[in-house]
Amino acid sequence: MSPSRLTNPKVFGSLIAISASFSLAGCKKTETPAADTASPAVAPARDTTPPAAAAAPAINDAQIAHIAVTANAVDSAAGELAKKKGSTKAVKSFAQTMVTDHGGVNKQAVALVTKLNVTPEDNDTSKQLKSGGDANLAKLGTLSGAAFDKAYIDNEVAYHQAVLDAIDKTLIPDAKNVELKGLLQNVRPAFVAHLEHAKSIQATLTKTGA
Amino acid sequence: MPRHASLAAIVSLCLLGAIAACSRAEPRAHPVKIQNFVFVPAELTIARGDTVVWSNTDFVPHSTTASNSAWDSKAIEANGSWRFVARDAGRYDYYCVFHPNMKGTIVVR
Repeated sequence: MSPSRLTNPKVFGSLIAISASFSLAGCKKTETPAADTASPAVAPARDTTPPAAAAAPAINDAQIAHIAVTANAVDSAAGELAKKKGSTKAVKSFAQTMVTDHGGVNKQAVALVTKLNVTPEDNDTSKQLKSGGDANLAKLGTLSGAAFDKAYIDNEVAYHQAVLDAIDKTLIPDAKNVELKGLLQNVRPAFVAHLEHAKSIQATLTKTGA
Repeated sequence: MPRHASLAAIVSLCLLGAIAACSRAEPRAHPVKIQNFVFVPAELTIARGDTVVWSNTDFVPHSTTASNSAWDSKAIEANGSWRFVARDAGRYDYYCVFHPNMKGTIVVR
């Protein structure tokens, strides 16, 4: 993906955060130059360029809906894999919860876009989420046992944090439709709960040396 | 006279029964809402014999599971509810088995 295609600085910030999270898990190494250049400067760049950010075209509701659906689908897919390959009860249970909850979120999202007669619109953020998710699945596919558990949970922590940041800084602020904004606000607690849950499992795995 | 004595005894017993019934409050049902991945209220004090009714208003399943195994609702589906009658006094911490950071407490007096 060419950085020049990322014309919206707010979305670009989210992408960088999400991209960085996958990089943390050892994925997307081919994009290292872009991530290395941009990651340390995410906050300062946004702070020092307010005129450009203010003038940037906002992401539209159809694109936000697509990002929401994609984010949930990506984590459901990782959960399906972890249900089979996880080696501890805690990891398998967490994975099942991810599949159940993100499936529930997507049901809400699909019901809303159907009601609003909106067709979710693919966009760079969705593409980045999907490619990052695919890279994560590919990496997890090569691991097993404790190494799998650690890589899966580490990515879950980074992923949920990145998506939460995107929800707070881009998706909720930019959503125009009241019901879409409401849906994002309603699903936010799920991401918070998942992040806390993943962090507690991560702490346990670290303690046990996994 | 014996008839009067019997009548007085029956009336006395009825009065005693009424007083006893009045002195013991009727069991109550206490709602706990599960909303936005939080138990509301997080802590609830009830009397023995009261019922707690958890209602899940979220879009995903939750559970109410006592840390000491006193109860376990299993999955309460979206828009579902589950009730528990508290028979024994004590302080009961509970959580959602699917989202362990969701915690609550029931105090039974």
